[in-house]
Amino acid sequence: MRISIFIISLFVSIVGFAQQKTDTLKLKQTYGLRVGADISKPITSFIDSDKKGFEITGDLRFSKNHYAAAELGYEDVITTEDFITFTTSGSYIKLGVNYNAYRNWAGMNNEIFFGGRYAFSFFSQTLNNYTPNSYGTYFEADLIEPNTEYKDLSAHWLEFVAGMKVETFKNIYFGAQINIKKLITTKEPDNFENLYIPGFNKVFSNDLGIGFNYSISYLIPIIKKTK
Amino acid sequence: MKKFSILLFILLIAFSNCESDDICLDSTTPYLIIRFYDADDPDTIKSVSSLTVWANEKDSIYTSEALDSITIPLNLNENSTIYKLQSDTEIDQLNITYDRTNVYISRSCGYKTIFENVAVTSTYNWIKDFTLTSTTIENETNAHINIYH
Repeated sequence: MRISIFIISLFVSIVGFAQQKTDTLKLKQTYGLRVGADISKPITSFIDSDKKGFEITGDLRFSKNHYAAAELGYEDVITTEDFITFTTSGSYIKLGVNYNAYRNWAGMNNEIFFGGRYAFSFFSQTLNNYTPNSYGTYFEADLIEPNTEYKDLSAHWLEFVAGMKVETFKNIYFGAQINIKKLITTKEPDNFENLYIPGFNKVFSNDLGIGFNYSISYLIPIIKKTK
Repeated sequence: MKKFSILLFILLIAFSNCESDDICLDSTTPYLIIRFYDADDPDTIKSVSSLTVWANEKDSIYTSEALDSITIPLNLNENSTIYKLQSDTEIDQLNITYDRTNVYISRSCGYKTIFENVAVTSTYNWIKDFTLTSTTIENETNAHINIYH
């Protein structure tokens, strides 16, 4: 009898000890560098051969709710409009901060975040072909294929970012975010216009843009801090 | 979480629909505008009572119409266009030469052609005289050629 009570008490204390241990673990938060890639871009490239590109994402937690974030990418996209077809190719970088507005339960590491970015792109436009626009059909214009390449173009813009990241497996995150963009300045080609900018996507008439990003990222744990 | 995804969804719909620049509303390649004046009184507009107009080897644009002005397209693939203007039974030939420049307008409109260094020669059967008001055709606000008959 005494022995069995001892065994039970021991078992309870072990369970208690184990519980204690996990409790303290839960209070620790991992700070580190999270690196990932946009998974929508290779899927888009596969479905639509006119769109090629990749994007690498990264963020670094520097306070309880703040992350320094960056995106780096390359795009090679053919756009076909009613009267023009052009190819845009170039790279971009986006730098900014995310603020995590989501209050996790102990032990969870999910995020609903808002943030801002400053972005810069360096690219070229190639005017593949166009048909001079004339109403009526009495004389129809032939397709002109100048293949003019406008090099050394650039653009700066700001982005508002909102999204979420979910820790699916230990240190592996799935993320989705929406980016709303506003152009600040662009270096425009002569007798043409930057209608598509790598990283900015389609430039709407009021210099606005929109983008989506679906990412998988891995957190490289650097330090663990107690809350 | 739910509210947030609803917000995302609304934003997505809102932005995918704002493609107001997809319809071309700007003016495109201009037509050549010709006005007809009285040869005896050059400031007075005088209609041609029965005018038939066609480009060389093409169908007619106007057939036996009473008109004081016409707007006709120029050939966008060559640097000259020949038009035949028939008043009653008499035919005159207008030979229009030009340089073409393609000017960017917008995403939805693409490029328009403007015509520079325009020169015109004519035969004189029913046409007594003509003047070219500008050597550049880039809009349709004014007549480019005045014909006196």
